[in-house]
Formats: sequence, C-alpha cells, structure tokens
Amino acid sequence: MAVEDVKLPDLGEDAGDMARVAFWYVDPGDQVESGDELLQMLTDKATFDVPSPVAGKVVELVADEDQEVLVGGVLCRIDTGD
Amino acid sequence: MTKASDSAAPRRSPFPPWLRKRVPTGGEARRVRDLLAELRLETVCSGAHCPNLPECFARGTATFMILGGTCTRSCRFCAVPDDPPGPLRDDEPGAVAEAAARLGLRHVVVTSVTRDDLADGGAGHFARTIRAIRQRLPKAVVEVLVPDFEGREADVETVCAAGPDIFNHNVETVPRLYPAVRPQADYRRSLDVLAHALRFAAGRDRPRFTKSGLMVGLGETHDEVRAVLADLRGAGCGIVTIGQYLAPSPAHVPVARFVEPEEFAAWEAEARAMGFAAVAAGPFVRSSYHADRVYEQCTGDVTA
Ligand code: SF4
Repeated sequence: MAVEDVKLPDLGEDAGDMARVAFWYVDPGDQVESGDELLQMLTDKATFDVPSPVAGKVVELVADEDQEVLVGGVLCRIDTGD
Repeated sequence: MTKASDSAAPRRSPFPPWLRKRVPTGGEARRVRDLLAELRLETVCSGAHCPNLPECFARGTATFMILGGTCTRSCRFCAVPDDPPGPLRDDEPGAVAEAAARLGLRHVVVTSVTRDDLADGGAGHFARTIRAIRQRLPKAVVEVLVPDFEGREADVETVCAAGPDIFNHNVETVPRLYPAVRPQADYRRSLDVLAHALRFAAGRDRPRFTKSGLMVGLGETHDEVRAVLADLRGAGCGIVTIGQYLAPSPAHVPVARFVEPEEFAAWEAEARAMGFAAVAAGPFVRSSYHADRVYEQCTGDVTA
C-alpha cells in the first residue's frame, strides 16, 4: 500500500503566506477519484476548491477546518492502493 | 464519492459564490515555477497574490514583472512590497525572452514595479526587454503594462519605439478614489500617458493598441465608472479590462462591494457600445488575464 501526502498547492499567496481550510468535502474512509474535490480553502482574495491529485481512499485529514496551512503543507493522506 | 456536488454555497466563506475557483489538477504550474526560479524572474501573479495564479500557471502562462520585486510607490490596493529598490539586472531582458521562449508563449505580457528612483522610470529597461522578446520570438504578440513614468513623454516614447503591440497603462480606479487608493498617482496624468502613446503610434506600425483597466468594488459609483470609460475612449484607448478589487490582506483597502457577474456583463456591453475594440469584464478579470484571448477580439488598428 502507498500512502500519499496531498499538499497545499500555490493559490497565489506569497511563499510563507497561509491559506485557511474552510471545510472538508470528504471524511476519512471515503474513496476518491483523481480530480474529486477534497476541501475548500480560503485566501485573502477568494475561495478555492482543491481537487485530489490521486485516486484512492482518504486515510487521514491532517489539516483541521479553520486551520491555516502554508503552501506545501500537508492537507491529508490518501492510500492509493498501489 | 465526494460531497462537492451537493455543497451549493460555501460555508464560512467571506466571499460570494462567484468568487470561488477550482484549482486545476495537473497542468504546467510546476514547470512555470521552476523556470521562473531558475531564471530568477518575478511575476505580478505572485507579487500581487493574484487569485488566477493556479489557473494561469497551469495554462503555462505568467506575467513577468521587471525592474525588481519592490516598488517605490505604496498603492493601498497592491501587495507588492514598497521596500527600497535594488539595482537593475542587466540580464533581465534576456531572461524574460528566454522564459517566454521556453514557455512557448505567443502572447507575452510584461509589467513592472514603479521605479520613481530611476531617471527614466525604467523605460529603457522596458525597451530592451521588448526588443529581446522580439528577437527571440518574432511572431509573438508583445504587451507591456507600464507605470506612468511621472508623465514624462520621452519615457513613453522610449517604450513605444521598441514596438510593443499593446501599450497598457491602468487607470485602476475612478479619480475621486485616487487619494485613498493610489496617492502618488494622478488620474489625468495616466490618461495623458495613454493619449501620448497613441499619438506616437500614429503613422507607425506599433503600438497597435492602447489598453487600460480598472477595478470595481472600491466604492465608486456607476456614473463614475461610466465617466472613466468615456475618458479612456477620449484618450483613444482601444482595450479595457474591468475586474473586482480584492484586498490582498486586512492591511489593504477593504473591499467596499462585491460586484455581481450580471453587472460585469452590463459593463462589458456598455463598453463595447462605447466603441472599445476589446473588452474584458468579470469578477476575476485582471489586466493580464487571458490577455491573448482579449487581444483576439481586436480587428481594427490603433484608431479602432
Ligand atoms: S491574471 Fe495575470 S497576474 Fe493573475 S495569474 Fe494570470 S497572468 Fe498572472
């Protein structure tokens, strides 16, 4: 089994800036396809839906709702099954 | 299955539903970032915390920001830091051309910070950058988005003589809000810069068009926006962009109002009826957003 870290992509904030987790669309145990939306993030300028880069089973939500995350910070872990 | 489909309105978001974007999966973002880092180039995308960055980078595009990463002005809507400016990089024009070539850009947009500390405001550096791109990519459309050069016509001419296809200078907001939003700028001076670029273009190949843009949602009235559009037409401006102002941080001017997509559509129709050759209006419209597609709307020449 391979567990992948899903990291916060660059949303236009400067390096070192944070984006906030608004809420999760998924729960641990959910099966997702690549491209399915995982969570919604907020920056100072807009709301962003962040899709899953991989297919698999969500094993852990690392960032909590309302938590601020740095670009590159881990959002969740997905078991890709390979 | 995700629950994305049944979440009609975002919870806890301070933004209206139309200010919601989906981050693209895949695309070219990684390659764009690596190339910019390798060539040590700044982009306004990053400098201004543009919400379109994930989308534009994924498309393999970016808007280069030359003359350094810090600005000598302190406009209250902009995230670019107003720290003391550094020396110009002689290799920057070549690096921009190199990046544009390696990204395979057919429409290259170059902007800059404002450099009131330089005698020519950076006009010579702009001209060298335009020429470097032309040499490397003779077929590419070159669009420059310049500062006001404190109104110096000679500097406007230096830029225009290098032959950009589009000469862009943003008025940014309505004149009444200048003191609050861009205290070191002057509305009339900005209009004069646009008018002068067009005067210079008369009888020459280029610039083919002048372009300008403004933000809405800063507290302006409809009549004020209408008056700005009329002034731009009066200055011969051929392309106009209208987008939602978004505050880069709580320390910047707050958003006065979120303008609805329908209102942007009405502005677009009105601007077209006023005779602009190309118009882009929408919540996420920025001066450089899909600049290639906006330019494709143009059919005439500088006087269109
Ligand atoms: S809209 Fe312009 S500034 Fe924003 S990311 Fe796209 S190219 Fe960059």
